[in-house]
Amino acid sequence: MTTTNNRDVQWMTWFFPAWYAVFGVIICLLTRVTPPPRPDVTAVDKVAFFAQHHTTIQIGFVLLLILLGGAALTNGLVCYQIKRMSVGSVFAYGYIGGMSVGALPGFLLVTVCFLTAAYRPDRNPELISLLYDLGMLSYNGSLGCFTAAYLVLAIAILYDRNEVFPKWFAYVSIWQIITEVIATQMFVFPSGPFAWNGSIAFWLAVVVFSIWLGALIMLLRAAAAKEAAQ
Amino acid sequence: MTQTKLPGDRDMWIMVLGDMTVFAGYFVVYMLYRSWNHQEFLVAQQHLNITIGVVNTVVLVTSSWLVARSVQATRAGDIEQALALVLSGGVGGVLFMVLKGYEWASKITAGHTNSDMFYSFYYVITGVHLVHVLIGLIVLGVVVRELRNPARRRAQMVEIGATYWHMVDLLWVIIFALFYVMR
Amino acid sequence: MTSESRRTTWVWAALVVLTVGTGWLAPAAHTAHITVASLPITVLVLVLAVIKSRLIIRYFMEVRTAPRWLQLTTDAWLAALFGAIMVIYLV
Repeated sequence: MTTTNNRDVQWMTWFFPAWYAVFGVIICLLTRVTPPPRPDVTAVDKVAFFAQHHTTIQIGFVLLLILLGGAALTNGLVCYQIKRMSVGSVFAYGYIGGMSVGALPGFLLVTVCFLTAAYRPDRNPELISLLYDLGMLSYNGSLGCFTAAYLVLAIAILYDRNEVFPKWFAYVSIWQIITEVIATQMFVFPSGPFAWNGSIAFWLAVVVFSIWLGALIMLLRAAAAKEAAQ
Repeated sequence: MTQTKLPGDRDMWIMVLGDMTVFAGYFVVYMLYRSWNHQEFLVAQQHLNITIGVVNTVVLVTSSWLVARSVQATRAGDIEQALALVLSGGVGGVLFMVLKGYEWASKITAGHTNSDMFYSFYYVITGVHLVHVLIGLIVLGVVVRELRNPARRRAQMVEIGATYWHMVDLLWVIIFALFYVMR
Repeated sequence: MTSESRRTTWVWAALVVLTVGTGWLAPAAHTAHITVASLPITVLVLVLAVIKSRLIIRYFMEVRTAPRWLQLTTDAWLAALFGAIMVIYLV
């Protein structure tokens, strides 16, 4: 039995969770966008939010701007595994396309909005309030963009005859789509369970996302190990 | 001791049990908001069309029954019967969607929109359920393809599809109780 | 008809009867006035919902003849969900 030398792939399966972990620190501890600050507050409160987290917002989002390119690698790793499936490469490219499109409203817009708000703290509070809303709505509500990526991933897994990923992960990816669909309600409600900080639109979605991401990290490792033994 | 058998396969049960758990979360949140706004919810609830609710529930339960019979027919080797039953079940699913669409349209034109808290829950939860029905129709489509192909016709595939479809029915039965009937 | 399919059909009939019966208990179907909260009706509705749910799970989903872990898991789900609903409603 020959073994495949996929050292580079195995190295990437460590980079993947490491990059997501750094991103976790950025969005949770530094920039404070997750868990999200409340939508149902006044302009004065929003100005106070930016004043309180001014420094860490700048550090965090500047870091994000530099590290966002790492998404090319993490998405590339998943793309590599999809290409190993028996379905056509189109699914792999669909995944990359979907994730890439999503990054724009998903991360870059909130980055620019929040950095702009922090740039001149003495700006008109109504404008700062606008940047706050725009950033948060974009960050949380744009999750629908990733729907296409999850859908092609799910379909690829279900039709794959090479058993790269287990079928249950396709179903977990479909759960992701459902929570993204619900997330669209954030644009309608400034408070309550469907707001961007709501129990259903946000918290339940975070639980599902954590399950999805955790499973993906494990499955990428397992797939690389299986490939090395082939 | 009789032999036990897992219907379908483990992966689909992970999907079904997980989905049921997420929906349970939605139901609990709904109940909490209901208990905090009881009177408001009661007033809003009375505008729901109970007749359509009952009809839709019967439609979905019947469709589930047809799909269950289809599994039995597949096991017995009666593929023609199995196909007819699955297709009928699918028709039930389509009928459900049409009725639900009509129901939504009539509620929205009557002014019961998202701005009312009860209705925001109603539209989101029945909406997510509707997406599940749509996915279910795709799943039944896969089952039909499986049955039409003489080289396949595996009972397990039909069971897998049926398990998903019954979950859609199960969730609706609970939605019906929580939204249309309980007070 | 085999005994299995006969059993399935009985379950369907029970579900239809329970559904129509539950609908009959519903607010607008009864009173012409504003809906009034009703503890006994709600408890009855929830009990009927549990019965219907369990029928679907045990018979349609065939959990009745499934491995023990699945039977316990689905029963636990029913207990947890309806338990929570009852508690929230009653408290």
